[in-house]
Amino acid sequence: MDRNQITKWIKNPKKMGSKYSLWAIYFCTGCGIIEIPPILTSRWDAERFGIKPAPSPRQANLFLITGYVTLKTLKAVVRTYEQMPDPKYTVGFGSCPINGGMYWDSYNTIKKLDKYIPIDGWIAGCMPRPESIFIAVTHLWTMIDKGIADGYEKYKEKYFYYRKNQEKALGELDWPPLHPMKKKEEGQ
Amino acid sequence: MIIKIVEIIAIPVLAFLVGIFFLGLSRRIMARIHWRYGPPITQPIIDIIRFSYQESVSHGVIFDLGIIFSLAASIAVVLFIPLGGMCALSSSGGLLVILYLMLLIPLGVALSSGEGANPNISIGISRKLILSLGYEVPLILILLTLMTRYGTISIADIVSQQGSGWTIFSVPLFMSGIAYFLILPAILEIRPFDMASAPQEISSGHKVEYGGKYLAIITIEHAFTLFIGLALFVDLFLGGASNPLFFFIKMLVVFILCIFINAVFPRFRIDQAIRYLWKWPTALALAGLIATSVMW
Repeated sequence: MDRNQITKWIKNPKKMGSKYSLWAIYFCTGCGIIEIPPILTSRWDAERFGIKPAPSPRQANLFLITGYVTLKTLKAVVRTYEQMPDPKYTVGFGSCPINGGMYWDSYNTIKKLDKYIPIDGWIAGCMPRPESIFIAVTHLWTMIDKGIADGYEKYKEKYFYYRKNQEKALGELDWPPLHPMKKKEEGQ
Repeated sequence: MIIKIVEIIAIPVLAFLVGIFFLGLSRRIMARIHWRYGPPITQPIIDIIRFSYQESVSHGVIFDLGIIFSLAASIAVVLFIPLGGMCALSSSGGLLVILYLMLLIPLGVALSSGEGANPNISIGISRKLILSLGYEVPLILILLTLMTRYGTISIADIVSQQGSGWTIFSVPLFMSGIAYFLILPAILEIRPFDMASAPQEISSGHKVEYGGKYLAIITIEHAFTLFIGLALFVDLFLGGASNPLFFFIKMLVVFILCIFINAVFPRFRIDQAIRYLWKWPTALALAGLIATSVMW
């Protein structure tokens, strides 16, 4: 904790707390999870930034999606995302969640993940280097500071569209809507 | 009267700060042993701030009450422990009260987390309760030995009678001291005995449904548990201390030894843990009890 940050801590402890204590639920999709152990262990020690693997979605506030998302894992991704408590941040890892990557013509793979859950930032690359993950973390800190990492609020606002896309991909979902289904905001 | 009230308020706050410092220190020392830089020492406080501002999901009334019950039990235990000359509630039967209240801490957590119907929780609770059963047997034998030796059940009297020499260096009682040190990782729930909250196999066990404020409370309760186990060891075997500063230095030395054990040992299975706890520490404590009752 820096000494010149004490005023920031007193002014907005919620923001600073979620900034420096990012517990990541590593949802092991695809090949990106193999990049995570070197980040946590001695070579690139992520714990000095307060990043720690969280054992359950209830304790986490950072969701790393590490690789391609098939239709089968999309269901689990959506459920895990909805179980995480607010405020929560999502980072797409690798080129596959961005636009399909090398699975661009696969029949069974999700091409654009941000149609189904809101993503706060992307790390491009196949695979990204561990350094780029730390650059992403510092970018996420800046975004939290400016208040633009607000994917979880967008998910509540535009839940109708996300749910519609999820149902389009997965068919009938076996859980009720999490938030009220507003088709359009008032005044629009 | 006023000093008493101030002590009752100040001692839990002090215990919380010391426990949180120990949690941060353990993460830091573990990181240095792993050849890492490690988090800042204030990291548990940052985590607690983050948890308390997060949304928390409840699973019913008992889910809310049980965890507060557990926290209240740990604060009550802290009030009965003499802390370097200070003791908030020094009754004549301190040891028995501590023995009784210490069992309420895992029971409250079990009551609370049992409400969330996650299969990992039931495995975690059963491991936690079996483990507390495992360390209670040698602990009772150790406390009986001390009661026999000093002829009192008041923990403050035991501390004051150690002015001539520490218990751990007196002849039949060093066996009880070693037995207490052997069960200390089980009381503190650190590495050879952290199977109740094993993150890699059962998703942190009883903590799996806790999020937000519940996780903050369980972290605070873990800090109190660390404080209780170490403070009891210092009071009963290392002669207490004349002021709180020396008391905390003694606790720190014992805790750093425990972190070294935590850093190098893998995790026991629950049956291996019970086999260990009911064999070596129990045998040592029983030998100490028999020797003490023969000599005194």
